[in-house]
Amino acid sequence: MLSESHTAVVTRNETWRGQATSEAYEAGWAREAVIFIRALKTPIGPTARGQVEISPDGMHWVAEGTAFDFPGAKNNLAVARVCHFGNWLRIRADLEEGAETTILISMHLKA
Amino acid sequence: MTDPSLPYDPADALRRAILLATPGLSRFDPLPRLVAYDDFSNGYCGWSQLVGNYEDTLDTMLPGYAQHSSPMLSTLSHWDAGSHGAMSGSYALKIASQPKRGAQNVTIKRLTFRKPTPIRFEAYVTYKPEASALKLGDEDLRSFGFLFDLQHEHTHPSPERVMPHFRFLNAHGGKRRECWQFKQGSTAFVEIGDENKTRSHYHLADEDWQDLPGGSQTLCYNEIPTKVNWTYLRFDFDVVSMRPTGFQCNDRVFDVSDVDSIRMPAMHNLWNMLNFAFFVETDTDKRAFLYVDSVCISGGL
Repeated sequence: MLSESHTAVVTRNETWRGQATSEAYEAGWAREAVIFIRALKTPIGPTARGQVEISPDGMHWVAEGTAFDFPGAKNNLAVARVCHFGNWLRIRADLEEGAETTILISMHLKA
Repeated sequence: MTDPSLPYDPADALRRAILLATPGLSRFDPLPRLVAYDDFSNGYCGWSQLVGNYEDTLDTMLPGYAQHSSPMLSTLSHWDAGSHGAMSGSYALKIASQPKRGAQNVTIKRLTFRKPTPIRFEAYVTYKPEASALKLGDEDLRSFGFLFDLQHEHTHPSPERVMPHFRFLNAHGGKRRECWQFKQGSTAFVEIGDENKTRSHYHLADEDWQDLPGGSQTLCYNEIPTKVNWTYLRFDFDVVSMRPTGFQCNDRVFDVSDVDSIRMPAMHNLWNMLNFAFFVETDTDKRAFLYVDSVCISGGL
């Protein structure tokens, strides 16, 4: 049997401001995750700093260690590649006051 | 179960014997043709998120659909007791709402039919609010349910799009309800974009639900938010008459002879549509989860 592979869209056309996170996604079956963040509109203000967070329960979160700049222009991409993440994954971003970005986040998971 | 009033049919007896001896399928009562048997320990099995219609920009998507996100494969992992696991195997399909009162999420499987026949939809499901408080939380989840989205074949003399909807209304506005409901009405269609090609309506809105006569039922919720029990569902719908013919939840069999569906004129691009969906909604600012262990969709030959 072929190994499982799945694309999950966890955030679609949401405008993020301040401190924002994607909804928790369970992917304990997957050995690796490639996460793309695409700006759907021209971001306003300084580029956000993003990071991957992991969790033991989907409610308490800690930085996984992977950090990246959010896309700085419409239709640009940011990417995070992670493994050894346990079960729960999400993306967090911290934006400066007045900054905002409208994004699409997809998780590409493989067993 | 064999009907003793019918003459003995060796082919049917053999089919039933094979079903009863097949792990996984033995807990279902399918019609002769297995259309789909989805055990989510084998993957997503074609159940995806219900994305809303749009044109030119995602901003045109109705808010009800904009909140939807992808389902997950879950081991029902809990902070206090670890992975609960599915009814069979490790994984169940999980549909999660956002933590906002009234938030909903939907997963859908999209098929078409070769021939209009009776369809039987069976599943084992369980539901819970997120265990974010050390409380029972039994009034936090508003409802879970299922729907079909069907349309006649193109050659039908009076084609319709027909959408049977059922939900178990657990609580509403903090008040316990514990009853099954159905829908015959829906919110109006909205034109999407300006090319006159795309329309949308949020048929899962909180309006237009009616109590199913005799539809009160108390399900097994268990004693804390992280203990779950699997519940059997069966819904029979005749795609020939476009009427429901049976509904069962665990030991209860409900009369659906007076139940109708959301109906509308056929749409130009949905011929023979045979869609199935599950949904969940929260009644508080806490996530609500619906887990589906397995689904069996069967029909006539």
